Amino acid sequence: MTDDITLGTPQAPPPRSGTYFDGHSSMRHDVDLAVSEASRTLRLSGDTLGDDHLWPLDDIREHRDHAHKGAAIFGCPQEGDARLTVNDTQTASRLRALCPNLKQTDVRKGAYRTIAIWGFGAVASVLLIVFVIIPALAATLANRLPVEREVALGNTVMRQLEKFLGSEAAGDLACSSPEGDLALQKMTARLSDQIDSPYTLRIRVLNHKMVNAFAVPGGNIVLFDGLIHDATSPEMVAGVLAHEFGHVINRDSTRLMMQTAGSAGLLGMLLGDFAGGAAVLLISDQLITASYQQEAEANADTFAHDVLASASLPSAPMGAFFLRMKEQHGDVNRLLSHLVSHPDLDGRADAAVAADTVGDAGFTAVLDADEWAALRGICGT
Amino acid sequence: MADYSENTLPVEYRGTPTPLLKLSLVTTILTIITLGIYRFWARARLRRYFWSAITPGGDPMEYSGTGLEKFLGFLIAVAFLAVYLGLLQLGLFYAGLSMFSEAETDAELILQFVGQYITFFAILPLIFYAQYRGRRYILSRTRWRGLRFGAEPAAFGYIWRGMLYSFLSLITLGILTPLQTFRLEKYKIDRTWFGTAQFEQQGSWWMLYPAMLHILIGALFMIVPAVALIAGTGFDAVWNDFTVLENAPWGWAVGGLVIGNLWMMVGFVYYWIHSHRIMAKHKVLDGDIRFSSLPRTGKVIGVYTLGAIGASMIASLFGSMLVGGLGTIIAGVMNKSGSLDLGSLFTGDTMPTETQGILIAVSVTVLYLVFFMLYSAFAVVMIRQPLVEHFARETHILNAAGLDRITQRDGDEMVEAEGFADALDVGSAF
Repeated sequence: MTDDITLGTPQAPPPRSGTYFDGHSSMRHDVDLAVSEASRTLRLSGDTLGDDHLWPLDDIREHRDHAHKGAAIFGCPQEGDARLTVNDTQTASRLRALCPNLKQTDVRKGAYRTIAIWGFGAVASVLLIVFVIIPALAATLANRLPVEREVALGNTVMRQLEKFLGSEAAGDLACSSPEGDLALQKMTARLSDQIDSPYTLRIRVLNHKMVNAFAVPGGNIVLFDGLIHDATSPEMVAGVLAHEFGHVINRDSTRLMMQTAGSAGLLGMLLGDFAGGAAVLLISDQLITASYQQEAEANADTFAHDVLASASLPSAPMGAFFLRMKEQHGDVNRLLSHLVSHPDLDGRADAAVAADTVGDAGFTAVLDADEWAALRGICGT
Repeated sequence: MADYSENTLPVEYRGTPTPLLKLSLVTTILTIITLGIYRFWARARLRRYFWSAITPGGDPMEYSGTGLEKFLGFLIAVAFLAVYLGLLQLGLFYAGLSMFSEAETDAELILQFVGQYITFFAILPLIFYAQYRGRRYILSRTRWRGLRFGAEPAAFGYIWRGMLYSFLSLITLGILTPLQTFRLEKYKIDRTWFGTAQFEQQGSWWMLYPAMLHILIGALFMIVPAVALIAGTGFDAVWNDFTVLENAPWGWAVGGLVIGNLWMMVGFVYYWIHSHRIMAKHKVLDGDIRFSSLPRTGKVIGVYTLGAIGASMIASLFGSMLVGGLGTIIAGVMNKSGSLDLGSLFTGDTMPTETQGILIAVSVTVLYLVFFMLYSAFAVVMIRQPLVEHFARETHILNAAGLDRITQRDGDEMVEAEGFADALDVGSAF
């Protein structure tokens, strides 16, 4: 054994260069360490150890992320649970220099296969619940919800919405003027006469510059003053209103709230509490909501086309309004179209024009010029 | 007190700030880059670090768990929990809607309030289950002197005990908290093994009452002045007309509340530390190996306070420097894509273009991420490590000669690792 390189000080009084635990008992064995370059082995020898142990250098692994660089825990797959602890910096670093595969991890056979199977199972389970079971269940439950409960829910949502928009007392954002209200009633009546609705439709104009409109559960529809001002004809507003009627009749908002309630906590669970979890959560939730909603939007559009047709109104102005919105606010590109709930304004405009049953033939305007002016002035601006 | 004879093993702590900071920064960054997937590996690596820093009698502990098995456990848990939680939440929302109204009376308000917490109670058994399983997993991956720790598979017994004792503690306004603390600890400890040796928690629950001392003092500060005030004015008078208190010297009662609150917060830490001290004294391993663990309340509060202040200061400083640089670049891009008045955005007078909207969202997200990342990385070094170090150094193993007779136990595979704890986010601090 002339070629042996001794690590640490041999036969030194304790502490020796290493401590060995055999993995069977908790006895400590003080050991001397020597390396044979020829046979590429580490020899562990000690008074309490019995026969010397030989560890092939290539097989030695180091326990990673150790707190103290001067100390280290080594193991060797052949000896299973046995451990060699080295407590001085010099010995540890010399041993590190001699062993080439310290950091190799010995992954159990078939581990990646198991991961793949369960990974697939987990993804399938989440997709199934988020995109199939919850939407189906939400639709069933939304239809079973008594109308008066839906109305109560809608009132609560309305109040929260007004608060969000900066209203201090309930109803102080709502616009009303005698002529404006009459104009709105006339427009609503012409459209709602075509619908068999279990709800009392309540249309409110809110004093806000946002160009938007939406349906709240239970027959409440909100038009923003910004939208009325942005439209260039009353038929455009009528188109939007008919679209929102579609949401009310299809119970889209109620269904959507249920879907969100079912899937929100699930996402939180998947993403954990790591930094930025909240941001990813918002985006994923938006993605899911938007995908639910895009279908709902298309259905509401079709509904609107039918209502307009039965009211002998053209649906082309609705298309024109979509194009106008695109012009003013820019279309969204393909990537973003997954993130917004009203995508592809071009396509929706085309559909509206194609569904137009009035065309160049004359029609009775939904509001006359005076009434249109009154509606535009309902918020006093 | 511990007797420092040859038969006593002190627990040393060998961790230092620099390597831990490096480890914690690297793992946090990787976690963010991988959208959270790396968090399983991050946790395994931090555990390896902390375990190896704790060296009872000069022999480091070893954590042999891997990120891969944690990840697998998480996938298994998700496959089951997705269905359970999704249906549960939707069902509860519908049930909530069915009794939804505008809460015009107090009773309706209370009903709604209760409804919101039903979800919590529905997952409470799962939480206890996950906690027990998580602990069992960690023990099975912990070694010292080459021998594994372990816990018996007994999670179901832990569920109902956990719920029962928590409920008792709750309805007695915390008076039975020692019962909860002790019985749950005893349930876990009596089923914990080191190699072939079993742990035992001796003593009884009422021995923890001295640890409640400062919670009691805090409560007295809150109650006594207020009661004295009402008694002084006359109970009947206050009962009939609350406003008579306006002329009473109620400043005393408010002062009592403030002092009582602060005292109680300290009292909670005191209870945690002192119940730990008392129970450690009554733990036995293999019939005769005993322990002494004497951390101090003042030290623990000091570490938390200084660490939190330090970590948030550092995070703010570096975070604002980084984001400042980024902000300059973003502002440049913004100007190119059309000028934008931030003030008018908030009033709703102008709408941002898509590009501007994205840029704003990106910069806010980055600011949040950078701050969070730096804070959590520094908190590990400035709060967690000093705490672990304090607990380790104040702990001694008494009558340690008996350790030599202990031999290895069989491994506990646990394919699902602590997946349920990870999925429900109820893992321990480590």
